[in-house]
Amino acid sequence: MWEVVKSVLSAFFGVQREQRRRRDFEQGKPGTFIVVGIVLAMLMVIVVMAIAIMAAG
Amino acid sequence: MRKMLVLAALMASVTGLSRAARAAGWNMPVGVTEVSRDVYGLHMVIFWICVIIGVIVFGIMFYSLFRYRRSKGAQAAHFHEHTTVEVFWTAIPLLILVAMAIPATATLKDMYDASEAELDVMVTGHQWRWHYHYMGEDITFFSNLDTPREQIDGTAEKGENYLLEVDQPLVLPVGRKVRLLMTSSDVIHSWWVPDLAVKKDAVPGFVNEAWTRIDEPGIYRGQCAELCGKDHAFMPVVVQAMEQEAFDTWLAERKQEAAAAASGVDREWKLEELVERGEKVYGSICASCHQADGQGTPPTFPALAGNQAMMDDLDWHIDVVVNGVSGSAMAAFSGTLNPVDLAAVITYERNAWGNETGDVVQPAEIQALIDP
Repeated sequence: MWEVVKSVLSAFFGVQREQRRRRDFEQGKPGTFIVVGIVLAMLMVIVVMAIAIMAAG
Repeated sequence: MRKMLVLAALMASVTGLSRAARAAGWNMPVGVTEVSRDVYGLHMVIFWICVIIGVIVFGIMFYSLFRYRRSKGAQAAHFHEHTTVEVFWTAIPLLILVAMAIPATATLKDMYDASEAELDVMVTGHQWRWHYHYMGEDITFFSNLDTPREQIDGTAEKGENYLLEVDQPLVLPVGRKVRLLMTSSDVIHSWWVPDLAVKKDAVPGFVNEAWTRIDEPGIYRGQCAELCGKDHAFMPVVVQAMEQEAFDTWLAERKQEAAAAASGVDREWKLEELVERGEKVYGSICASCHQADGQGTPPTFPALAGNQAMMDDLDWHIDVVVNGVSGSAMAAFSGTLNPVDLAAVITYERNAWGNETGDVVQPAEIQALIDP
């Protein structure tokens, strides 16, 4: 699971090692990546909103 | 030693160039408000960041092209990825963007904070003139283009402030926070004065806020910045900033004028008086569409000279001018012209360019129509 999170985060950043990408495509299921991606995207929105509210307040 | 000299010469030419660029008007103005100076500062900081990035990136590129050219036996490297470098060149732009966003956001927050204003002015865009209303002071007026027609047609030498001059500028006091409430009566306009760093859309049905606090007395010119139709280029913005004392005097004079204009409603006006006044109103308000000679630009703007339907039906003529024609370019003028000006312009139209009806429309009639 932690490996999936790391892969999704590096996708957010836009840089990934070739060997990890290959491993994800061979072993991982698309469903887990999609779910983790949606959850992390929502988390990022919450973090950005929190920073904006803190900066404005 | 030689390198130092080259560097010094480079620095000198860069500062000289940027000074020349500002003098030639290529750069944006520093302006006369705290916000405009902040905006200028941001613009210059970001400009220099771009220059430095450009010099580094293109420097490395051109050096590499030259140093490792094939004629010197350079061999291409074959590798697929380099995670460290990729992380590095993703993180650096991110940091630069965040570093630019912090001061930019602070300035934006400041620009949007129109609270605690000491004077409110309602700015309404019309096709094609600005209208100003000093809230709570009961002062309203149109600001019309004042460039002579001959200069526009090219038969006279163009003046210094060609298309940037108006008959009545927006007069504001210096050192006071003025809130500008922007809206429009027809299409989207945009009120823009570079020296104040104010540029705000005027949207029909919405009120947008902007504010300014001008530091120095002077005349600041701008234009409509949102394409709004035929005379978009002919509705400039002119702001005249004056000391508080002079502003108060101006305000008192305007109030007297407004009172004098309103007092004429009750009395009986003569044909000649109305025609004389109506010609001026027509020239500043109507002529941009219906033309000074009343010929219009058919089919959008019908001719008034020799318009039989108009001459035959006085009530219809009054209704069109007062209430406008829904679904056409003809606006309603009941809210923007006073009854005397409305009566004068209708009388003028019925007695100019060979329209010899002899009809006289009294201001009191119009008053009764608007305010029954």
